[in-house]
Amino acid sequence: MTQISLTPGVSHEGDHPSATHWKTYFSFSTDHKVIGIQYIVTSFFFFLVGGIFAMVIRGELITPPADLVERTVYNAMFTMHGTVMLFLWTFPVLLGLSNYLVPLMIGARDMAFPRLNAIAFWMVPVTGILMMASFLLPSGSAQSGWWSYPPVSIQNPTGYWLNGQTVWILAVAISGVASIMGAVNFVTTIVKMRAPGMTFFRMPAFVWTVFAAQIIQLFGLPALTAGAVMLLFDITVGTSFFDPAKGGDAVLFQHFFWFYSHPAVYVIILPVFGIFSELFPVYARKPLFGYKVVAVSSLIITAVSCLVWVHHMYSSGTAAWMRLVFMLSTMFVSVPTGIKVFAWVATIWGGKLRLNTPMLFALGALIMFVFAGITGIMLAAVPVDIHVNNTYFVVGHFHYVLYGTVTMAIYAALYHWFPKMTGRMYYEGLGKLHFWLTFIGTNLNFLPMHPLGLQGMLRRVASYDPEFTFWNVMASIGGFLLGMSTLPFILNMVSSWVNGAQAPANPWRAIGLEWLVPSPPPHENFEEIPTVISEPYGYGKSDPLVAPVDHGSEALPSEVPSPSH
Amino acid sequence: MSQQLKGEPVSPKQGMSLYRWLMLIALALVLAIISLGIGKLSYSWLPPQASAESQLIDNLFSFLVTLGSFIFLGVTGTVLYSIFFQQASKYDSSDGPHIEGNITLEVIWTAIPILLVVWIATYSYQIYIDMNIQTGMGLGHIHLPIKMESAMAAPMTNGSEEVENIDVQAKQWAWVFNYPEQGVSSTELHLPSDRRIRLTLKSEDVIHGFYIPAFRIKQDAIPGRTIQVEFTPIRQGKYRLRDSQFSGTYFATMQANVVVQSPEDYQKWLKTSSKLKPTVAENEAASEYAQEVKASFKTGWPSIAPANPPVVNYHN
Amino acid sequence: MSSMITTEHFLRPIVPERHHDEEANSMFGFVVFLLSESVIFISFFVGYIAYKTSAINWLPPGVSGLEVKEPAINTVVLVSSSFVIYIAEKFLERKNLLGFRLFLILTMAMGTYFLVGQGIEWSNLEFGFTSGVFGGMFYLLTGFHGLHVLTGILLQGLILGRSFIPGNYDTGHFGVNATSLFWHFVDVIWIILFVLLYLWQ
Ligand code: HEA
Ligand code: HEA
Ligand code: CUA
Ligand SMILES: [Cu+2]
Repeated sequence: MTQISLTPGVSHEGDHPSATHWKTYFSFSTDHKVIGIQYIVTSFFFFLVGGIFAMVIRGELITPPADLVERTVYNAMFTMHGTVMLFLWTFPVLLGLSNYLVPLMIGARDMAFPRLNAIAFWMVPVTGILMMASFLLPSGSAQSGWWSYPPVSIQNPTGYWLNGQTVWILAVAISGVASIMGAVNFVTTIVKMRAPGMTFFRMPAFVWTVFAAQIIQLFGLPALTAGAVMLLFDITVGTSFFDPAKGGDAVLFQHFFWFYSHPAVYVIILPVFGIFSELFPVYARKPLFGYKVVAVSSLIITAVSCLVWVHHMYSSGTAAWMRLVFMLSTMFVSVPTGIKVFAWVATIWGGKLRLNTPMLFALGALIMFVFAGITGIMLAAVPVDIHVNNTYFVVGHFHYVLYGTVTMAIYAALYHWFPKMTGRMYYEGLGKLHFWLTFIGTNLNFLPMHPLGLQGMLRRVASYDPEFTFWNVMASIGGFLLGMSTLPFILNMVSSWVNGAQAPANPWRAIGLEWLVPSPPPHENFEEIPTVISEPYGYGKSDPLVAPVDHGSEALPSEVPSPSH
Repeated sequence: MSQQLKGEPVSPKQGMSLYRWLMLIALALVLAIISLGIGKLSYSWLPPQASAESQLIDNLFSFLVTLGSFIFLGVTGTVLYSIFFQQASKYDSSDGPHIEGNITLEVIWTAIPILLVVWIATYSYQIYIDMNIQTGMGLGHIHLPIKMESAMAAPMTNGSEEVENIDVQAKQWAWVFNYPEQGVSSTELHLPSDRRIRLTLKSEDVIHGFYIPAFRIKQDAIPGRTIQVEFTPIRQGKYRLRDSQFSGTYFATMQANVVVQSPEDYQKWLKTSSKLKPTVAENEAASEYAQEVKASFKTGWPSIAPANPPVVNYHN
Repeated sequence: MSSMITTEHFLRPIVPERHHDEEANSMFGFVVFLLSESVIFISFFVGYIAYKTSAINWLPPGVSGLEVKEPAINTVVLVSSSFVIYIAEKFLERKNLLGFRLFLILTMAMGTYFLVGQGIEWSNLEFGFTSGVFGGMFYLLTGFHGLHVLTGILLQGLILGRSFIPGNYDTGHFGVNATSLFWHFVDVIWIILFVLLYLWQ
């Protein structure tokens, strides 16, 4: 069968399919691999933007008074920092990885709805441009935090209906619509497009986690949309849903918001769990310990995640019974999560570890996740949370997950699949430098936030009491170090992509369908849809993963190893 | 490259020798001792314990730190051991043993977290009840969340105990404390020590958070609602009250002093204050805003104007 | 939704079952989408219930309640149109295009009747969108639902138009089935809405 190329400028010559032409990445391509890379590159750009906001925040906080920027600007900075990092970095970058990997991993040629996929991607830059454009308005950008709690968010100093807050809501709504499209697409793809023999319990754990995460999007996002629509009407036409001055209820918005935004953190962390489950077996040369339980625990997390949102509202005047019920449900999340953590430790244990860049990042991320999870459990305990709620302790907790775990694990994934995506190897030395800068920077940046919070320093303040100076200086130095740490990464990625060594199809000797095709994979992924005949993660065993193709085996590039050892 | 060296056969289950068991138990003991030490240390990370509630919360916190340290050190220790001692040598491309799982282990590490969670939750619940900050109707009745007026309201006071009632008014960006019985208003919160205090929180505009780190007490003041908080200060001194719920431009300036005095000094303060004429208190937000409005070159964006500075008997 | 079948797919080697698979996928995706969409309505409903059970002054001053009779007739029309579109679907399955078109047009007429009735009700109400939480919730719920009815009618227009392209429905009925499902969905939502807004006063 010949490969029909639809992307202009792509030719498949000989054994080495040449890389996709760079112009393709600026076009409306429907190839899931192109879209995946589009997502990743776009979101990394916004990561830098969000990071620059963070640099302003840390710059302001290096001294107690509000002296670097105006208070309104500071408020805009943390609002946009949080929003950009969540909606334009973590969500889209994980969607990018999922987009690239899921069809390859389940043996499909593309996502179920390629056009819808492309549309969903192009809404990301639209969201980003809207967000950034709001800085140019007379009102400035949104300044009420990424929660945009009313009544602060419906106070409107300029009086125009077109202001930073309304643009913010529109942008978040667009990104929400895109996420729903993506979720429909992923769920359909995973349920309907698996290759023959690829039963649910033969899917790589990463696919399970994407599945679990996208289900959360489906039931969670609509709740946020409902709240956002009502908030928008409150600001623009003067309805009174959340305006207590007119008989509305401000706390109801908090319920709408957290009903989605708590599960949203699991939308982020679940694919990261998937990354762990993929990487540890490869670099420890052992099967994923307790694969089935690990797979199913993702769905348990999905189920529990929609029942814990009130832990963000313990001091919002919620009833005592709610505080206690949600305390228990929140803590319960540690059970399925613990199952996973212990399974990874057991996977690593007794293996033959290879500490290259992806493995270093994955191990660092795992350690920081356990730390963050434990501070999470402390926050879940109502009496402790009453003290540290809205202090830097919480900021410390979530940066350990969002930076220490999620961003680090994304780095791990990017290094791990870089050869597959680009057909090039990255530079190991630069990668290790990147790891150490990141690991030290993260701890220096975010560990001091814990004592600050325990001492009672609140978040979202542009000025603070002098007693908090020491730890803030530490955090700022760590923050700047983190900013620097992105430079070797960028250098590595760009230079390797341009002239790194050619990557073989399977540089890590990993087991999985994506490693059976050339690097980068051809347009429709597989010459012939493979038939899967064994469980995933067959390390230390010699079962072939797919049924032998009886004809046309010469069509496969020569360096593809047979899955049997 | 496709040809892979076969790992030397490792039998996955060798059974644990007595020696290994002893090692494991010894390690767990060492870990437990270190964790207990960290737990003890954790008291020093917190502000002074100025209320009865703070002692309870600190005990819970210390307990969580102890348990957390144990789990964290246990997991990281294991991973670090692998990192240091189980690396593949440079040219060893063989696989590790093919171990797919172990039912016993999996059951154990599901059961232990469940037990731990139940333990932590029960203990937290106990502390929460002991703190006695929630209303007597808290647990029994099911109230609609949005209807619930007093999250941390009066416990069923056992008659004899006197409760000091103080009204707290929050607005953008100032705190005003009213002592209704004595007709005193103040921008500094004075409290008698060793007395049960009942605050009635109200907000004029947006949500604010009443938070005194030294008391470990925090509760939002929500416009349109009246919310009560109770606690008992036990240590004389000067503390800081901070706004804990982001409330707009000058949020960070919304602070106040808290003075815990002996009941006698407290009464004296009330008496002298009640004789003072109400005057306009200084307000940082208001003065910063005035400056900002005057500035010819704007470096920020428009802000909501602060509410009128409080007019009170006592201010500093 | 039928636009999801892109030109790209026609360029692929045609496997006989391929088209069938794609229809099944599209239908599955559409059901998933509707499930998600229903959560928006559920959120609004929950909000409505929360407001109603907690409000002190629920109805705006001078408003005694909602008129039930007209909306009830509207409800009957809308709900019966679900059966009408079902019949249209059956006609299409039997390749009776004329019957299909006839019943489809009837469905559209009934939907339009509902929308017009809704419009008349709106114009006669003495409270507006900004009249307290009640006014807000009322217009939000009925308006959001009305938008869905309108979307349904437009989709019906689309599949009606397509029935005039020769051979358009020979290979599958995904567009029709989806439109019909959407219409049932809109009806079910309305029934809940009617109970909450009009019957529970
Ligand atoms: C990806 C992101 C992510 C993840 C995974 C988590 C995971 C968890 N989070 Fe976190 N959280 C955030 C992101 C995240 N969080 C963010 C962004 C905020 C702040 C939002 C804002 O205010 O702006 C927040 C805030 C937040 C709060 C609110 C604090 C406040 O505002 O006052 C709480 C309270 O309960 C909480 C709890 C938890 C818990 C219990 C977990 C658990 O899932 C953790 C479970 C993991 C473990 C426990 C470790 C591994 C388990 C074991 C080794 C087993 C044995 C352990 C035990 C038995 C304890 N988080
Ligand atoms: C994934 C999510 C994510 C990530 C990665 C980060 C990353 C960082 N965050 Fe945070 N943060 C949040 C999510 C995240 N954050 C959220 C949700 C909030 C809450 C917001 C709210 O309260 O509403 C928050 C709030 C928050 C605060 C609290 C603000 C306040 O309450 O007042 C602080 C304070 O220090 C902070 C700091 C940082 C720092 C220093 C980094 C660093 O890791 C950043 C490192 C920097 C870079 C990666 C950029 C490097 C770029 C350059 C050096 C320029 C080079 C440029 C080119 C090449 C073009 N963040
Ligand atoms: Cu004042 Cu929050
Ligand atoms: Cu949460």
